[in-house]
Amino acid sequence: MRSMRVPRSPKVLVGLCILGIFILLTLIGPWIAPYDPNDTSFVPNLRPSWQHLFGTTTLGQDVVSQLLVGCRVTMVVGFIAGSLATIISLVVGLTAGYIGGRTDEGLSLLSNVFLAIPGLPLLIVINSYLPAGEQANPLVVGLVIALTGWAWGARVLRAQTMSLRDRDFVEAARIIGESRWRIMLGEIGPNLLPIIAASFLFTILYSVGVYTTLAFLGLTNVSTWNWGTMLYWAQTNNAALANEWWWLAPPGIAIALVGTSLALINFGIDEFINPRLRAAGLTARQRRRVGMARRPRLGFTPVHRSEEIKKEASS
Amino acid sequence: MRRQWAGSGMRTALRRLSIYLFTAWATITANFILPRLMPGNPIEQLIGKLQGRVTPEMIAAIKAQFGQGLNEPMWVQYGHYWGQLFHGDLGISITLSAPVSQVLSSQMWWTIGLIGTAAVVSFIIGTALGVLFGWTRGSRADSIIPVATFLQSVPYYFLGTILIMLFAGTLHLFPIMGAYDSSLNPGWSWAYIASVLRYAELPLTSIVLSSLAGWMLGMRNMMVTTVSEDFVLMAVAKGLPRRRVMWHAARNAVLPSVANLALTIGLLVSGSLLVEQIFNYPGVGNLLVSAVGNEDYPLLQGIFLMITFTVLGANLLADILYYVLDPRTRTASVN
Amino acid sequence: MKEDPFVPVLDVTNLSVDYGYGDDAVRAVSSVSFSLGRSQVLGVAGESGSGKSTLVYGLTRLLRAPGVITSGEVTLHLAGERKGEAFNLLTASEDELRQVRWSQVSIVMQSALNALNPLRRVGKEFDEILRRHDRTSSKTSRQERAIELLSLVGLAADRLQRFPHELSGGQRQRVMIAMALALGPELVIMDEPTTALDVVTQREIVSELYELRQKLGFAMIFITHDLSLLVELADEIMVMYAGEIVERAPAVELYGAPRHPYTLGLMNSFPPLQGDRVHMTGIPGSPPNLKSPPGGCAFHPRCPSAHDRCRTQAPPLATIEDGHRSVACWLHDSSSTEAVPVSLSRRATSRIGQGA
Repeated sequence: MRSMRVPRSPKVLVGLCILGIFILLTLIGPWIAPYDPNDTSFVPNLRPSWQHLFGTTTLGQDVVSQLLVGCRVTMVVGFIAGSLATIISLVVGLTAGYIGGRTDEGLSLLSNVFLAIPGLPLLIVINSYLPAGEQANPLVVGLVIALTGWAWGARVLRAQTMSLRDRDFVEAARIIGESRWRIMLGEIGPNLLPIIAASFLFTILYSVGVYTTLAFLGLTNVSTWNWGTMLYWAQTNNAALANEWWWLAPPGIAIALVGTSLALINFGIDEFINPRLRAAGLTARQRRRVGMARRPRLGFTPVHRSEEIKKEASS
Repeated sequence: MRRQWAGSGMRTALRRLSIYLFTAWATITANFILPRLMPGNPIEQLIGKLQGRVTPEMIAAIKAQFGQGLNEPMWVQYGHYWGQLFHGDLGISITLSAPVSQVLSSQMWWTIGLIGTAAVVSFIIGTALGVLFGWTRGSRADSIIPVATFLQSVPYYFLGTILIMLFAGTLHLFPIMGAYDSSLNPGWSWAYIASVLRYAELPLTSIVLSSLAGWMLGMRNMMVTTVSEDFVLMAVAKGLPRRRVMWHAARNAVLPSVANLALTIGLLVSGSLLVEQIFNYPGVGNLLVSAVGNEDYPLLQGIFLMITFTVLGANLLADILYYVLDPRTRTASVN
Repeated sequence: MKEDPFVPVLDVTNLSVDYGYGDDAVRAVSSVSFSLGRSQVLGVAGESGSGKSTLVYGLTRLLRAPGVITSGEVTLHLAGERKGEAFNLLTASEDELRQVRWSQVSIVMQSALNALNPLRRVGKEFDEILRRHDRTSSKTSRQERAIELLSLVGLAADRLQRFPHELSGGQRQRVMIAMALALGPELVIMDEPTTALDVVTQREIVSELYELRQKLGFAMIFITHDLSLLVELADEIMVMYAGEIVERAPAVELYGAPRHPYTLGLMNSFPPLQGDRVHMTGIPGSPPNLKSPPGGCAFHPRCPSAHDRCRTQAPPLATIEDGHRSVACWLHDSSSTEAVPVSLSRRATSRIGQGA
């Protein structure tokens, strides 16, 4: 197995930091929220102040409390849906890729179908068929999201499994007589970890996005607080037209930040998987320090004589 | 002298086509089965859901939807269903009391126009930017990446809302809702067309802005990978001017984006739901959301079918494009 | 051997190439010097990672990031329209480099499948090169020239309509060679052009190259890890290890009587096509990690003849035997007291005759 050297690029670190903050908020959010998000006793439409860090809504609710409480539901549903989808995609992809033959044909067909059908409309339609009580349950919604979002990961994992299947170490395990499942989980599985990780993060991103979108459209329980619901209420109360940016910005930016952090971490994983994407050589700042004018251009290998380097190092 | 089209490309194309046909069949069948899965008589079920807000027209619509003979065996009903479909009969909308097909055909052009234009524009701009940023990789321009990543993660509806707030609300630069000035009559008059364009600017901009980043980042990645290929170095070794080398690399790098274009059509369709909500723009998305809210199942199913077929069609188109553009799919490799 | 006076084509002096900068820099090529004359063939041999590719890509300024040239001089003596001009490859501007590329020096890369644009027909690639050289030429004349070039390498004219993936490996490589000769350069660099091919095709192409060289008179640098390919083709062979030249000699002499243990090991890694079966030994161990090279001679951990001095001092490249051979090995140093193994001594019987 390749050495798992974690690339120490700043992008990944920033991503991890941001994600870390939000995970923290997921855990302690409702505790540190200053007020009850449903409390409508405050003066409506207040601008941000020390008492209300993000102001209040048209209904007189405190925005920052909604944000903190809503963090938990948003992140949890996103995480659960993402995990579930990743598990499904792992099982499907690994099985299809390794076993091949008819099983592969069938599973590939299944995932292609799910890939081709547009996700959000499907989600909306399935959701509408659910009994009213279930519609409100975030976990059920999460399940539905997972059921519609696993196909992409399955396809990627299948492709990767197929390319690993013919490698020597797998062949060796087969010859020794290890059972199929042991090979799939023990040999191929660990090598898939970077891709699984990337797929996992991507799926969480997708789930958070879809869940908040559904909430925004008012299709989930509007009394459960999540960031999408906040925007739903903002929209129905025409916050945009009233220029109430303090109500609109926090949930939207929060979603964007979570997404960005996941994407940044994914960049790091991408660079790990595909070394060509890694920055070869120096960044612009480092180059300036060394004294090289422009970035090395293709077909114009820089000539940087060692005496000059030594001179700079000693100065 | 043309070679036979016996390459693996043809086989793959047929496979893809059969997948699409299967998906289409599955969708139609799902549309048929789902309402019947709910316990009890579907008609009574639906009426029950509407909780007494039923008018005689609605009952007629529901009955027409499910046709006669609910007591007939499933297969016969299924056959009737297909028969109806082939006649273009998607049932009658409960809330609008009009044939679904009619409702759809009047509304879908707004969606197609908006989404189609947005898709093309954001693809062109995003891809071009991606080529440039991929080519100049390692320069200061790389700082665009975190910005683009952030932009990509911004939920679409949030961006749209912010744009409304800034441009329509505060600055009063753009109209707020609708597709055209409601005082005008639809028709091929210059005033009407101009109005349509004006009202489309903001929604179009918001879709383009939010999808741009995705194209750009994907294309940049592809460009970086392509530039590391040997044939690009060869082009440089041949003494070709830089522009030309970049052009060669870009041509090769853009291929996967074309394939992705089809997948993104699906996403854009989803996005259209949001556009129309936020900007109060007419179209299929708006219909879908209100149909869900009103539990207008015939309309719901009709819209879903239409969306799915559009996406499948777009996918098919992209596959054909790929087939045409990449010679490796057409003729069999020697080795 | 040629009796022509030595007309220089390429002069390389003390060329060093690093990967990376500052503290992270890895020296991939160390102070390499050589001269190549008109119509001469220089074979460069060594394992992967020995720096042979880095050397040639570096001297043509085609090395990708993070490669950087850290010392040396590279002069190309131009021919044709700019005959006699001494072109400094390291100080040239991009435009000047462009002028010289392909018309004076061209390159054949290792994998033709990757080096040819998969989306373009072969004919278009020729057309592009020929058009750049002479903008006033007509399309027909360019096509004729392309057909002519293809026939030089024994390919039919219809190959022009093919895409790269429609050609066999051998055909692709021949296309690359034809393209490299398109503008009549005086130096053609071949980076392991036959490595990806089967043994029989390899030999065919090598002999075709020999004929082409006889006919057209260009100089060649031929990189390979298979020494046996170089025996008939090359005039002189340079063996590289860990970025340095460890031995240099006329081809026949080197192959017949190698002086460096590494050269011997290399030769024993590839069986000759004909002749008696030879006991294959190969070279134990693997190439050094250039980030932390072993002290002293870079080869000592794998050398069967290594002694104390080898571990602490790096041997310089010294000339031996009347000056037309050089080797970097303490065994052949005049002050050495170690016994030279029979296989590496003057008295070794020539291997020529055992087939190559």
